[in-house]
Amino acid sequence: MISAANRELARRWSEEVGRIAPDDAAPWLRELRESAVTAFASGGLPHRKVEAWKYTPMRLLEDRAPALPAAAASPGTATAPKPLVSGTPRVLLVDGLAAAVDGTLPDGVRLMPLREALEEHDKPIRELAQRVGLGGPSHAFTALNTAFIDRAQVLHVARGVDAGRVLLQWSFSDGAADRLDFARLFVLLDDDARLDLVEQFESAATHAGALNVMLQARLGDAARLEHTRVQRETDEAVLLTATSVEQGADSRYRYNGFDLGGGLVRHELYTELVGEGARSDLGGACVLDHRRHGETRISVDHAAPNCSSEQVFRGVLGGRSRGVFNGRALIREGADGSSVRQSNANLLLSPLAEMDTKPELEIYADEVEASHGATVGQLDETAVFYLRSRGLSDSQARRILTSAFCHVVSNRIADRELAERIGELLDGAMPEAGS
Amino acid sequence: MLEIKNLHATVVGKPILKGLDLTVRAGEVHAIMGPNGAGKSTLGNVIAGREGYEVTDGEILFKGRNILELEPEERACEGLFLAFQYPVEIPGVNNTYFLRAALNAQRKYRGEPELDSMQFLKLVREKLKILHIDDDLMHRAVNEGFSGGEKKRNEIFQMAVLEPALAILDETDSGLDIDALRLVAQGVNRQRSEDRAMIVVTHYQRLLDHIVPDFVHVLADGRIVASGDADLARKLEEEGYAWLEDGGIQPLPADAPARSAAESGA
Repeated sequence: MISAANRELARRWSEEVGRIAPDDAAPWLRELRESAVTAFASGGLPHRKVEAWKYTPMRLLEDRAPALPAAAASPGTATAPKPLVSGTPRVLLVDGLAAAVDGTLPDGVRLMPLREALEEHDKPIRELAQRVGLGGPSHAFTALNTAFIDRAQVLHVARGVDAGRVLLQWSFSDGAADRLDFARLFVLLDDDARLDLVEQFESAATHAGALNVMLQARLGDAARLEHTRVQRETDEAVLLTATSVEQGADSRYRYNGFDLGGGLVRHELYTELVGEGARSDLGGACVLDHRRHGETRISVDHAAPNCSSEQVFRGVLGGRSRGVFNGRALIREGADGSSVRQSNANLLLSPLAEMDTKPELEIYADEVEASHGATVGQLDETAVFYLRSRGLSDSQARRILTSAFCHVVSNRIADRELAERIGELLDGAMPEAGS
Repeated sequence: MLEIKNLHATVVGKPILKGLDLTVRAGEVHAIMGPNGAGKSTLGNVIAGREGYEVTDGEILFKGRNILELEPEERACEGLFLAFQYPVEIPGVNNTYFLRAALNAQRKYRGEPELDSMQFLKLVREKLKILHIDDDLMHRAVNEGFSGGEKKRNEIFQMAVLEPALAILDETDSGLDIDALRLVAQGVNRQRSEDRAMIVVTHYQRLLDHIVPDFVHVLADGRIVASGDADLARKLEEEGYAWLEDGGIQPLPADAPARSAAESGA
């Protein structure tokens, strides 16, 4: 059943993207953009009957009915909060647009607008951009994002270069409240390149916008991408984000994401193990309270032999919040010797909170090691008593145990200082039991 | 220090303790022995205030105060410590962090200044040294992946840091080999002092070779049926518990119907 508000919003957005006069840098880009606009016009927006979106409360967007940005928008002004990490190059992105680069990127590392990047990296960018599904309501935001692909940025790390850490600091400006903004980022790591990418989503308390971000990465052979994402937006913020990573042989992708805020947060995470011996280590903690919605959808595609992947996700839910975890791992025919581990555990702190978790394993290869587990439960009362018997109050004991549940994810971060900083943020974000 | 009078307690509605009396003075070490299901662990849990253990009659006075109305954490802050038979693994909670939070909660309760991390580390190093425990223990998550011996030593270490007035060691010997048992017993003995009392709950006499008690009590069917000195423990070791029922020792007057210990569970 598609609501009138849903149809109306789709119609309006379709009109708005149709009016964009693009600045297409290449013929393939124009074609792609046009097919995205057409696909959105016929597919419309997702709704409850679309399987992959059945839990996502589109109502929040329908009620707000934000406008789309102008094609040639310039970034607004925002007071960026304290950066999560210091002493590293920082890219400020306001309402999805790159506003400033603070610090200097090392030699062999470049951040550039799409138009400029196409001069040297047309092929990988085209391949990544063209492989994204655009048709039907489930791809509505991908299609819209592609309509705004002109504003994409490309981060390139040359062969053998260790880029060190780069911070992407996302925030909303004062004027973002009535808009749905878009951002597209291509991250290209040549063979043996390394990058430690930290993303921070956080805005001054009064700013609440909506943002769709698509990050597409390609990792060359033996490349390593360490990716940490910390999201602390306000309860009004809407974040629809997708990260997809294509991995070459013996490459390594490590992701650790922490969703501590946001009113409607949906993160899709795809990794594709296309080269033999590649490894994806994915971890995440989602802390929900009030009436917030937090959704993580993962798909790991084992397309080559001897690859391994891990998914370690934790959810803590208080108030009337709603969490969704959908973790899929596909092991294709011929991807023999694959190893897949998946665990999703959730704590419900309130009788009104709700968690939907679904692991999906599809195996078509031989000699595969696979394990998965999903749990939804309450705190272990024996552990609560153990802490109380040492002098900690009931609420202290519960808070410590709840935080610890998520520290399992923050402790995966190799940099101890960052792990501890995130551990503290987790502690501060824990909902009260029974709230 | 501790006075238990006519204690009756039930677990999920089932009577386990049926009129238990026990008096423990400062500086004394009491051993409570008894067959499985006699109510030994129930006693420790009732004193510590665990949920699910309901006191239906009698009272427990600790330092003259009725503790049955206190929360478990208040009892701990008053100076009670229970060394668990099965110490709980708590992944993600660092041992140092946990113990400092606990000690500071107790200090705060008593109106003493809290220890900062430097002061706390100094204290921890002292205690580790006394107990011959590797400081690797402090960097790990509470009991996570610990061997049986490590878990029990961690309990004794917590006791050393928290310095309780009364410690109850619940089957501290269970699951330990003889070397681990000796180490744990040494740790306990180093903490014996004239202002601290201990209750050692055990099924076997062997722990009492290492921690020599001042008094030994036999708990059967929810009551203390015999009391004596360390020799009583040796007699139990030689002859088992069966002779109690055979009339070897005249049980104290019973007001509950006789039943075998094995039936009573818990």
